[in-house]
Amino acid sequence: MSEQVIEMTSRPGVQADELPLNLKIGMAVVIAWVLLAVLAPWVTPADPNALDLDNVLQPPGAAGLMGTDQVGRDVFTRVVFAARIDLWIGFAGVVLPLLIGVTAGLFSGYFGGAADALLMRVVDITLAFPFFVLVLAIVAALGPGVGNLIIALALVGWVSYARLVRAEVMVIRNAEYIQAVRTLGFNRFYILFRHVMPNAMAPVIVYAMTDMLLVILAGAGLGFIGLGVQPPTAEWGAMIADGQPYIEEAWWISLFPGLAAISFGIGLSLIGDGLARMLRVSN
Amino acid sequence: MAVAIGSGDALLRVRDLGVAFAGQGAPVTAVNNASFELHAGEVLGIVGESGSGKSVTLRAIMGLLPATASITGSVRFDGQEILGMDPESLRQMRGRSLSMIFQNPSSHLDPLMTIGRQVAEPLLQHEKMRPAKARESAIKILGEVRIDRPEQRAANYPHQLSGGMKQRAMIASAIACRPRLLLADEPTTALDVTVQAHILALLADLNRSRGLSMVLVSHDLAVIAQVCDRVVVMKDGEVVEQGAAGKLVTTPQHPYTQRLIESQPGRLAAVAAAPTVAITDSPLLEIRNLGVQFRLPRTGLLRPKALLKAVDDVSIGLQRGETLGIVGESGSGKSTVARAIMGLETPAQGDVLLDGRSIRAGRLAGQPDFRRRIQMAFQNPFDSLNPRFTVRQTIVEPLRKHRLVPADRFDARVAELMALVELDPRLADRKPGQLSGGQCQRVGIARALAMEPEILIADEITSALDVTIQAQIIELLNRLRSQTGLSIIFISHDLALVRSFCHRVAVFEAGRVVEAGNVEKVLSEPQHPYTQTLIASVPEL
Repeated sequence: MSEQVIEMTSRPGVQADELPLNLKIGMAVVIAWVLLAVLAPWVTPADPNALDLDNVLQPPGAAGLMGTDQVGRDVFTRVVFAARIDLWIGFAGVVLPLLIGVTAGLFSGYFGGAADALLMRVVDITLAFPFFVLVLAIVAALGPGVGNLIIALALVGWVSYARLVRAEVMVIRNAEYIQAVRTLGFNRFYILFRHVMPNAMAPVIVYAMTDMLLVILAGAGLGFIGLGVQPPTAEWGAMIADGQPYIEEAWWISLFPGLAAISFGIGLSLIGDGLARMLRVSN
Repeated sequence: MAVAIGSGDALLRVRDLGVAFAGQGAPVTAVNNASFELHAGEVLGIVGESGSGKSVTLRAIMGLLPATASITGSVRFDGQEILGMDPESLRQMRGRSLSMIFQNPSSHLDPLMTIGRQVAEPLLQHEKMRPAKARESAIKILGEVRIDRPEQRAANYPHQLSGGMKQRAMIASAIACRPRLLLADEPTTALDVTVQAHILALLADLNRSRGLSMVLVSHDLAVIAQVCDRVVVMKDGEVVEQGAAGKLVTTPQHPYTQRLIESQPGRLAAVAAAPTVAITDSPLLEIRNLGVQFRLPRTGLLRPKALLKAVDDVSIGLQRGETLGIVGESGSGKSTVARAIMGLETPAQGDVLLDGRSIRAGRLAGQPDFRRRIQMAFQNPFDSLNPRFTVRQTIVEPLRKHRLVPADRFDARVAELMALVELDPRLADRKPGQLSGGQCQRVGIARALAMEPEILIADEITSALDVTIQAQIIELLNRLRSQTGLSIIFISHDLALVRSFCHRVAVFEAGRVVEAGNVEKVLSEPQHPYTQTLIASVPEL
């Protein structure tokens, strides 16, 4: 028992009692955007699609915080409303592939065999194409729109998660604690979801943060070339594209949605970094 | 090893050495006020348990500590102060005047360089020898560390050699430039006992024939006592006792040294208390002609996959209330037998009978009844627990999943089990990362006991633990078996431990049982040559 008493005092536990700074900043930025998106109609009472042909291409100032665009719509209002669409694309475009990919990776890595071999060839083929090209092809085939965009992102995005989880699972399944619970006679699926999955999720969550950034950029990119969200709905990528012909005289049309996308992206990557550091500490 | 001690200047003089590591918060003291010296031609042993600061001390002498370490005191080698020496002079000294060997030869040899080249490297670097001549010398040195066919071995890469051979190659590389002092950090810990005996004999021989002085660090007092002239005992960063090896072992002064010696597996008194067991014709568990095979990876594209017989035609029985020892070196198949009994491996042939009923994996292994009756404890205390589960969650899980006690009694049962394995109840909400190795091992045993098994398979459960903690765990198992009549299959590489704890023993070599019977009889009058070698290799105090 003397050993235990010594241990009680000399090993004070390893939890990170303080959140990393970059995680805090990142969460502040992301939460601010989520609030703006949810509260959009109260933040700015104007209609994002209301035309005002008497007040076109007004610079930021008297005509509004961020000026107006070529048909007189308020840029600030549109940037705030666009956050609703872009955040939704980012959220759905990550959660859906994450669910598919994690499930596939778990089964593939834990049970192995023919199904695993087949699944991994599908993953290889998907990864052989550039991400954006494949999303583009699927959206082009299904037709433009937010719903189809999210379907395309799910169809292409799950492979990265599957691969990541499979690699983790293949290490964890040979760990002694998995052998130990097998000798306790638990159901295989119970072991897979209760013991293997939680220990395989740390890199997935960190990757999901980076991926959300990629997905929003993909959404904005497709919006830019007209395959994403359809006009007149406000979306950051589409707004940047709209401003392109006027970039020399009315820079504000493209700049502000661009800054919005960048700030949200930085927030996400700060969260990703912070989570990575925190999960490393607790492991 | 006769040395005139106390005459003239010491080769190595360590005075008031202190090492602290800066971390988050207060700096952690690793070594505190350590002083000792070593005379030319002497072998000095530093013994201590994990965290005692023995390896850090060795690294301080070699100047290998990271920049985060703050070092105080003095380390003089041949009259020259090493601490604070400029990097260039230190580099000149390393390999030429003092060199070092490590615990794990696999990770300290460059996998992309042949053995010959690695031994020749210090000669090329320090002595500016011509490549052809260096190669020739390297082969000669490989011969001196008793590597057979050194010309051919010189062309091999590390992965083509066995663990013992790699350790010899690392020693060869360390002594290539004829240093005066060799620092050895747990040089035999990763090796099997027969290989360990050869390496220790080699080190003693180098000391005799070359007058090579050595500092040997080990957790194993028996190893230290066998090769060292003098011994330094460290605990929690401090030197608690030092003196001539023979005197220190026979008349230890400090209470910690006394405890260390009492904890040596050969001196445990467990067997005296072990209940006697009647050998019957109907054993509780019977392993009958068991065979397990593994498919090896192809050696060439068109070659068929070779089969490795990990367990080959093994038959042994376990009586009710008996403790059966299974001994053997790494790769002898002793763990595979345990895994086959537990249904973690599918046997290629043979059968395992529990009370005369077959429990062969695939058919009955999943049955909760069988699961409850045979349980297993694992080798690695940290890795055998889910890192995300608290102690309570770990122990409750089998109770809940198998409905062993009603839900409102979970807490009471956990407290009972923790008391049974002598775990402080305040530890219930900690996770494995916040527990010591010995505590984790107790949790693993408590989890197995939650199933109320009749048989406990203990697979090297103490080999990752310090010797004093090992003694506590053996004490615990001993109490459990006399209280509950538990039958135990005790798998270990440590003969002395098996001798002090088991009724019968089965000796494994290359997947087969070469000898089995009463533990006293087998270990005092071994019949099989392999058992004889094994016993002769064990270092004794």
